[in-house]
Amino acid sequence: MDLTRFKGCAEAYGADRRRWPAREHALYDRFAGTPEGAAILAEAERTDRFLDALEVAAPDAALGRAITNLPSQRSGAGGRRRFWIPAAAFAASAILGFAIGFAQVRDDGNADLVTQLLLGPESVREIGL
Amino acid sequence: MKPAADDALDQELMAAVARQDGRAFARLVERHLGWSLRFVERMVGGRQDAEDLVQTAFLRVWQGASRWEPQAKFSTWLYRVLHNLCMDHFRARGTPTEALDEALPDGAPASEERVAGTQRAARVRAALATLPERQRAAIVLCYYEERSQAEAATLLGVSEGALESLLSRGRAALKKHMSEELH
Repeated sequence: MDLTRFKGCAEAYGADRRRWPAREHALYDRFAGTPEGAAILAEAERTDRFLDALEVAAPDAALGRAITNLPSQRSGAGGRRRFWIPAAAFAASAILGFAIGFAQVRDDGNADLVTQLLLGPESVREIGL
Repeated sequence: MKPAADDALDQELMAAVARQDGRAFARLVERHLGWSLRFVERMVGGRQDAEDLVQTAFLRVWQGASRWEPQAKFSTWLYRVLHNLCMDHFRARGTPTEALDEALPDGAPASEERVAGTQRAARVRAALATLPERQRAAIVLCYYEERSQAEAATLLGVSEGALESLLSRGRAALKKHMSEELH
């Protein structure tokens, strides 16, 4: 029964005693050195090693500065790298507006207006349209 | 510094932040940014999303400091804020899928060892991303962050027995994932 509990703990908390609940440390000490206990821990350790491969880099200084400056910016989330979103939205709306206007002029079939729109009113005379 | 002294300092800093003290806020950021980013990156699987969520969390610290009451440790409260933001992120985006899209950290030449390490890390991210959110949170809190069972259970709003069950099921799923990779 105790070995079953030992296995249950190893499957939940892994092979490292530090991660086990304090109340189960005596159980760990009792079975870790036995052949059955060692086999259970070896199996748990495989999963531990797998998890250990996921290292996370420390935050860069720029992130710390950006967060520290958040109060003065009084901006919403993602202020550091999401500034391009409103700029992109503005550019997209400008392009869309131009495209719609251009399409409407084309629909009218009026080539002079298209030329004036693109090159200015003098251009119609200059290029002989 | 002892943990109790750490907690007392956090409380002092939060009191100062409530008075709009920018230097105290910078100090809090300095003390808690590292683990916050680690926790969130392992939860959501991507650096960019993690950085955005951590910024949002610290903005909430600044904005909510005047309402904060030190009934729990500051770090426990911040974990809860971060965890809730991760859950909102999952709800908004569905199952995280960017785990395998992580590029090498920077433009430096990649040695074979470094590439292998990055690939191993990507496999773990991908495996974690397949877990239900609560199992993933339990593993990140207990395995990576080494929080006590009591604290992790409180954060997740479950009993310690339920936490153990989440851990067991999560690790069993990872084990299955590992064995499938080998075949």
